[in-house]
Amino acid sequence: MTAGIGSSGPVKNRTTVERKSDREVVVTRTINGPARIVFQAFTQADLLRRWWVPRSMGMTLLSCEVDARVGGKYRLVFDFDPEPVAFFGTYVEVEPYSRLAWTNEEGGEGGSVTTVTFEETGGRTLVVLQETYPSKEALDAAGTGAAEAMIETFDQLDELLVTLAESSGQ
Amino acid sequence: MTLTGMKKHVAVLEQAGLVTTRKIGRVRTCQLGPRRLEEETAWLESYRQRWDERFDELDRVVEELTRKEKSDDSRNR
Repeated sequence: MTAGIGSSGPVKNRTTVERKSDREVVVTRTINGPARIVFQAFTQADLLRRWWVPRSMGMTLLSCEVDARVGGKYRLVFDFDPEPVAFFGTYVEVEPYSRLAWTNEEGGEGGSVTTVTFEETGGRTLVVLQETYPSKEALDAAGTGAAEAMIETFDQLDELLVTLAESSGQ
Repeated sequence: MTLTGMKKHVAVLEQAGLVTTRKIGRVRTCQLGPRRLEEETAWLESYRQRWDERFDELDRVVEELTRKEKSDDSRNR
């Protein structure tokens, strides 16, 4: 009998994000459950659709298809004005309960690749999710969606190059 | 810190875009790079929030399944 212990409710674990390089972002989070169940929640459509789109995102998932086998496809369709938007891709690595990788193909060629590892310790699972983009610009755009920010960055780079040229020329 | 050492430090900050420098006569003035650090922080924070919300929901789903499995187990015994 272990039921009833800890009536204060589940502990919320910290989510960390780190830009590992110009093209890679790593997200980590410990989930309160065994790797087998966390893996299921990533790979079964009926479970995935319950958490992938939190209500706070203000988007409605119209359909969710997942075929989590190497070479298998996934497709998530969101309600959007003027027409629905689909996110889709292919699973490239599927190792039950420990590792998953899929491509993100909605943006055409050169989309990002998402790799997830699951590591269980004492009944809890550390999830490490890495998104690898084809270029720094693609990663920057994914975060803010602001093309202007990119132009501004290039302006700053221009300035920097001018400054460096000045300082090296004296 | 030596002047050479200082120059190296400033060059690194400058390359990262966190400061800009300007030389007038013999004086080089450093300024914080316009919004650069804030932009970077805002980018990471919006990214983190998106995943944090997702993982909160995932936690709920996983906890429910784990609990259900445990009670199914004890019932089958």
